[in-house]
Amino acid sequence: MEEIQADIPFTSRYSMTQQRFTGKNAVRFDQIEEQEIRETVGEIRLENPRLSCHDVNVFYGDKQAIRGINLDIGHNEVIAMIGPSGCGKSTFLRCFNRMNDTISNCRVTGKIMMDGQDINGTVIDPVALRVRVGMVFQKPNPFPKSIWENVAYGPRIHGLAQTKDGIHEIVVKSLQQAGLWDEVKDRLHQPGLGLSGGQQQRLCIARTIAVNPEVILMDEPCSALDPIATGKIEELIDTLRKNYSICIVTHSMHQASRISDRTAYFHLGHLVEVGETKTVFLNPLHPLTEDYVTGRFG
Amino acid sequence: MESSMDKRLKKRYAADRRFRIYGLSAVAISLLFLSLLFISIIGKGYTAFQQTSVLLDVYIDPEMLDPEGTGDRALLSSADFGALIKQAMRKAFPEVTARRDKRALYRLLSSGAEFELRNQVLAHPEQIGTERSIWVPADGSVDMLMKGAISRDTAESDRPLKDKQLVWIDALSSQNRLKKKFNTTFFTAGDSRDPELAGIWGALVGSILTLFVTLLLSFPIGVAAALYLEQFAPRNRWTDLIEVNINNLAAVPSIVFGLLGLAVFINFFGFPRSAPLVGGLVLSLMTLPTIIIAGRAALKSVSPSIYEAALGVGASPMQAVMHHVLPMAMPGIMTGTIIGMARALGETAPLLMIGMVAFIVDIPGSILDSSTVLPVQIFLWADSPERGFMERTSAAIMVLLLFLIIMNASAVILRKHFERHR
Ligand SMILES: Nc1ncnc2c1ncn2[C@@H]1O[C@H](COP(=O)(O)OP(=O)(O)O)[C@@H](O)[C@H]1O
Ligand SMILES: [Mg+2]
Repeated sequence: MEEIQADIPFTSRYSMTQQRFTGKNAVRFDQIEEQEIRETVGEIRLENPRLSCHDVNVFYGDKQAIRGINLDIGHNEVIAMIGPSGCGKSTFLRCFNRMNDTISNCRVTGKIMMDGQDINGTVIDPVALRVRVGMVFQKPNPFPKSIWENVAYGPRIHGLAQTKDGIHEIVVKSLQQAGLWDEVKDRLHQPGLGLSGGQQQRLCIARTIAVNPEVILMDEPCSALDPIATGKIEELIDTLRKNYSICIVTHSMHQASRISDRTAYFHLGHLVEVGETKTVFLNPLHPLTEDYVTGRFG
Repeated sequence: MESSMDKRLKKRYAADRRFRIYGLSAVAISLLFLSLLFISIIGKGYTAFQQTSVLLDVYIDPEMLDPEGTGDRALLSSADFGALIKQAMRKAFPEVTARRDKRALYRLLSSGAEFELRNQVLAHPEQIGTERSIWVPADGSVDMLMKGAISRDTAESDRPLKDKQLVWIDALSSQNRLKKKFNTTFFTAGDSRDPELAGIWGALVGSILTLFVTLLLSFPIGVAAALYLEQFAPRNRWTDLIEVNINNLAAVPSIVFGLLGLAVFINFFGFPRSAPLVGGLVLSLMTLPTIIIAGRAALKSVSPSIYEAALGVGASPMQAVMHHVLPMAMPGIMTGTIIGMARALGETAPLLMIGMVAFIVDIPGSILDSSTVLPVQIFLWADSPERGFMERTSAAIMVLLLFLIIMNASAVILRKHFERHR
């Protein structure tokens, strides 16, 4: 009863928001929000960060998808990125390994520092960057090759081992780390596409960690999986945090609260709030965050 | 209520059945026409695989070939074997004495008979001085008579074989000296004015050489162009213009390419006329747009997630394309290539423009030799008045179709190979 009482002011505000979005004389959505969200609420800076974003903007042609984001990502932390769909989570994530370069009309401004160097600068080559910042995609996308070949591909093109035995060692280690070894050790030379969806996604994770990245980006890695496979991936993320920084985009707030140390809430290209996961979910500072985490919006 | 529902359901099933019947009859009609085509070609052409030969007892007279007994091969090969053949014919029909009759008698044999004899003697010089029975090709008209293409009932003046000749033929036949044998000449010889001496081998080699040049040029260039346009080129006005023009090129009538080839390759660059090299160049121009369009479609159909996955583990765009996208697109590219090559194999018009229509007896030995190709050979034979060329036209079509089938089958096998290695 008390909870409902507490909600009343937000509910009324929410219905007002609804009115703004509909009707003939609707004010433009983004204009309003522009005024409402100026500064990110919460602790955006860390001591000794692994990645540090300064005023990052992303444009698709004339359309701005990411608006002036400042954020640090620490060592060995799992940071979850949540927000309604279309708010720019994927776009922001793809800035970290310069995957946005592959989209012809996409332009990124601002600085993203990694070990004292701007990854958008001329010193770092995007190809080399993608070895240090690996990525796991929304839909499992193993190569149409054998399981072994899938994992061996990265180490081989980067010359991480000179002999086939050396490569095999990396393959075994990566599959073990990805928690897939026991399931596939007898069928290493069968096609990766023959695995189940969850296994395929863990194969993609094994493929990513085979090249020794420092950061792993995951864009809704569980959205195509069933709950059991999702559970396995979440366990895996928990073990991976020992060695890697992990940025994970998720549409499941439960997942974010289960696996992440910090949570960042995005809204229409803005970073609205970032903080300890517990704080963000239990005591959100920004009303928009509160609307979202209590399930009233998005 | 229920009955109306039932009625609707029944109607739906009936529509289903009707649709299936339409489809089946469409397939049946096309199969019917295809089999009609095959039946008519095979029916007209199968006789060409047999050729009438005459068994002749020839005394290989050393006096006429090599009077001094030197055994010199050059001398031997230029000796008058025709005289030996005529002598043997006279001996077989001693009753023929008048000059005109003798000439009519000799005409029962093909002019290839003396080459047959010469080849045998050159291969076995020890036979000189003995009498041998050898099979020599009969004249085309005799062959036609044996195959029933010339009727004995037509008036003598309308018949290539006169009554006297018919008597001699019957005499040979009754002695078992006239037989239809497998026609090896057809598969080993080049073109000839005499149907019984004409073969398809020259045109087949010409086709193989021409297609070889075409494939060697158009496949790598086409794949490279498709890769560049699909994977690397920026999207702007220029690439749009190029795309439109490639599509236009694919629709240009092939004779235009022939004229272009004549103007550029022969008149400007001075390449030899009638050569498979020029034919291949012209056909490459024609095949390239097909390969580029098919290649782009195949590349486009590869899911971009594979490309992203490769980039994600640090592959360069080039590596991502070469290691993953291209191999996955390969079966599609190969299908396009084979369609292009099949079209090139059957192409006649542009090759007429660059002189591949010339009458060429020799088998081409390289891409610079004069030669003709299968469809042009078919065109030439179909245009010849002799009856013997009619069956050879159909036989040549069969060879062309067989070539096409072999090409397509190998493409299917290659495709399977690529698909298995994904
Ligand atoms: N390739 C693209 N071209 C143009 N606009 C894009 C492209 N990708 C995403 N956008 C736009 O950018 C915004 C953010 O998209 P995205 O990052 O995919 O959101 P999210 O992952 O949070 O759902 C959306 O409005 C979307 O329409
Ligand atoms: Mg997304």
